[in-house]
Amino acid sequence: MNKNVIRSITVIAVLFCLLWLIGLGSAVGEYYAGKPAKVPETNTVSKKVENKKGLTIVALGDSLTRGTGDETGKGYVGMLLDEIKEKSKRPAQLTNLGINGQTSNQLRKQVQQTEVGRQIQKADIVLVTIGGNDLFRGGQGLTDFKTKEIAAIEKKYLDNLKFTFEQIRKNNREANVFFIGLYNPFIDLDQGKEMSKVVRHWNYDSAEVSAAFPKIIFVPTFDLFELKVSDYLYADKFHPNTKGYRLIAERVASLLTW
Amino acid sequence: MNKLIQNEMMKLIAKKRLIVIALIIGVLVMLFTYAQYKQVQTQREKLGTSDWRTILQQQIVDTTNRLSSSRMQDEWKKQLQISLKQQQYYLDHDINPAEPGAPTFMRVFLESSIDLFIPLMVMVIASDLVSSEHSLGSIKLLLTRPVKRWKVLLSKYITLCLAISLIIAISGILSYLISGAVFGFKGWGAPILTGFNVTESGLNTSAVKLMSMWRFLLMDFGLVWFVAIVVGSLSFMLSVLIRSTAAGMGVMLAALISGAILTNMVSSWESAKYLFMVNLRLTDYMKGTAPPIEGMNLSFSIIVLFVWWAAALFVSFFVFTKKDVY
Amino acid sequence: MEKKITLAVKNLKKVIGKKEIIKGLTFDLREGEVFGFLGPNGAGKTTTIRMLVGLIKPTSGSIHICGYNLDEHFQEAMMSLGCIVENPELYPYLSGYNNLLHFARMLDGISGERIKEVTELVGLTERIHDKVKTYSLGMRQRLGIAQALLGRPKVLILDEPTNGLDPAGIREMREFIRFLAEDEGLSVLVSSHLLSEIQLLCDRVAIISKGTIIRTDTVQQLLANRERVVWRISPFEKGKQVLSSLTPMEEKEDGTILTEFDEEKIPEWNKQLVEAGVSVIEMNRKMPVLEDLFLELTGGDSIE
Repeated sequence: MNKNVIRSITVIAVLFCLLWLIGLGSAVGEYYAGKPAKVPETNTVSKKVENKKGLTIVALGDSLTRGTGDETGKGYVGMLLDEIKEKSKRPAQLTNLGINGQTSNQLRKQVQQTEVGRQIQKADIVLVTIGGNDLFRGGQGLTDFKTKEIAAIEKKYLDNLKFTFEQIRKNNREANVFFIGLYNPFIDLDQGKEMSKVVRHWNYDSAEVSAAFPKIIFVPTFDLFELKVSDYLYADKFHPNTKGYRLIAERVASLLTW
Repeated sequence: MNKLIQNEMMKLIAKKRLIVIALIIGVLVMLFTYAQYKQVQTQREKLGTSDWRTILQQQIVDTTNRLSSSRMQDEWKKQLQISLKQQQYYLDHDINPAEPGAPTFMRVFLESSIDLFIPLMVMVIASDLVSSEHSLGSIKLLLTRPVKRWKVLLSKYITLCLAISLIIAISGILSYLISGAVFGFKGWGAPILTGFNVTESGLNTSAVKLMSMWRFLLMDFGLVWFVAIVVGSLSFMLSVLIRSTAAGMGVMLAALISGAILTNMVSSWESAKYLFMVNLRLTDYMKGTAPPIEGMNLSFSIIVLFVWWAAALFVSFFVFTKKDVY
Repeated sequence: MEKKITLAVKNLKKVIGKKEIIKGLTFDLREGEVFGFLGPNGAGKTTTIRMLVGLIKPTSGSIHICGYNLDEHFQEAMMSLGCIVENPELYPYLSGYNNLLHFARMLDGISGERIKEVTELVGLTERIHDKVKTYSLGMRQRLGIAQALLGRPKVLILDEPTNGLDPAGIREMREFIRFLAEDEGLSVLVSSHLLSEIQLLCDRVAIISKGTIIRTDTVQQLLANRERVVWRISPFEKGKQVLSSLTPMEEKEDGTILTEFDEEKIPEWNKQLVEAGVSVIEMNRKMPVLEDLFLELTGGDSIE
């Protein structure tokens, strides 16, 4: 052990000690005195579109997009992805932006986000499920579906839907957009018949909105769940179960072209 | 004084404690690096992309979904909301919160080791500095020199500060080198946001600033150093008060671990914020996460730590100069 | 010629809690003398020595080393003092040289030359660069003395210097201490609980018991009249009669008789016995032991 070794270690330690002191000083100074320099907002949708390998799928919407009720956790989006991968033999990338309980109003806000817009821009396929939470409102829809209020809700919803589609088209002219229609989970209940009527009407109007845009395809699911609805529903009697999601996924898959 | 510090440095180096600490840090950093590497890999596999924006967007959506669960504790919910807003802010401003590379790894490593790991390493040296002289008996030789006692203690304290500086430097250098070998050495200039303000109503982004990674890191290092000095001084005091190194370490260890546990559950016990161990996570203020107890902020924590530090030093010097040595 | 006083202790007291451990000690050390500090374990020797070297603060009283008050002028006073308290506990993970360097740095103006000098003085030159943990106890003791001598002290305080040494080591140490006092003119204070050691080593002795000095005197003075003669005689009763008429005596349980030792009178007593028809089987001079001395000095109070 050399004297010089000790001395140089001491010197190094002193230097580091000073460096950390400077760090501490600047941390405290910055935390209080530092003026907030403007952070550049970048609302322009990203400049470069990266080289894509394979298909890019973006899924937007509510718990159906999320896959709530599916024990495997995939939902129709995940199942569809598997199928696309298998059939096209190409890698596919999925961005699932579904949020549980999302309403059309929230989706309207979501699609305005810069990054969401960028994601849509990259997409080859866009999947959308929305409206269920507007109409059923977690079961509340069961009691007041006859009132006039529902008309106001639907009007608002259609407006949001239109805006959402416009936003998608603004970002991406090419992608196929599949908009999944509503089914009636309450069909077996006492007021099932009347409820079905409301849902059919809702779906019809939604299909009308979709038709106004190029390459936005309305995918009906009402008929899938019309018979034996309880076989295809999860324990909450609202979301589809694995079998139910499979039905939806198969229907969308049959529409895909490549 | 200079000579006394040289003496203490000589003993410190001869004891090879620093080498042991460097080894421990090295092994730990390797483990972390591997874990991080694995995590990045699985994430890439799962999402099929390495685009940070996509990953961040996914994280935001995932967090949103978790927030919609009704079974979540309010505390946790609030924390998540804050981090959600922050993530969204990063995304909106097109800044990667975790720029890949060694500097980001260093930052994360520092942030996660500030309240337990680094203090532990410091404790290894500090708790033994005075009490080892007692247990060895050499204190009798040390204090029968024509040197005032406070000078002897001061030389030891300065040596402790130097050793702490070295430990912080070692952990910085090792984490940079080891993680750099895996993630690349670049990223010093990457932008990072600071100045998020956590208030009762949530996250306030009005004072957010853009900063280069190297500056942010320097500040992080400064804060970690300060925490290490405070913890070191407290262990030092125990080392003066308690003759047995093991007992001193035990007390300090209990305090540190209780701090780590308390931070997670003291939100309703307000006066706990005056304990030093819940104030150790200084880097969190830079990052902008919710403090364990409402009303805590950087200056509050620094003042609390400073008071503890001053008290520890006062007690150390008072006792050391006055006490009879048997 | 009165020699210079190097260490002056006046009315030294130490109270711990409510108990008075040291009850007012007063003594002086002179240049070139070896002063013994004699007492059983627990008498207060170690506490006193720790007060002398500044490890323990006295409750009252004063200590002057070469004229400097230890309490007020700690640095100046300690400059003239070298000490080993109990065993010399040096840093085992440093080499002997680095240990000396360590302590030399704590003194002013000690050169590498001086380190070499003391190393030679204690005869450790060959092993000085080895780690202290490889040293034998005797070598450690010598290194301890080397560090005590580094600052050319006027006063050397050694607490139980021969503790744990083998007979050869003890002898070596004794000679070395005498050399330091006689040739180098140091005042050496040695504490011990062994009378034989003190007797061979010291010029003057202070006997301490329960925190007070019972007696301070030269060794010759102290030991005078302390030696005894053990008699084994036959027939016992008759012999006892004869002896008791001549001198105060003590009958022991093992069938011997103890009288005081008086070189001039012993042949006379012996003659008387023989003349009275008592045969002397054994006549033994018994060296004084600490225990007896204490029993006598403290009036039969047992040693704590």
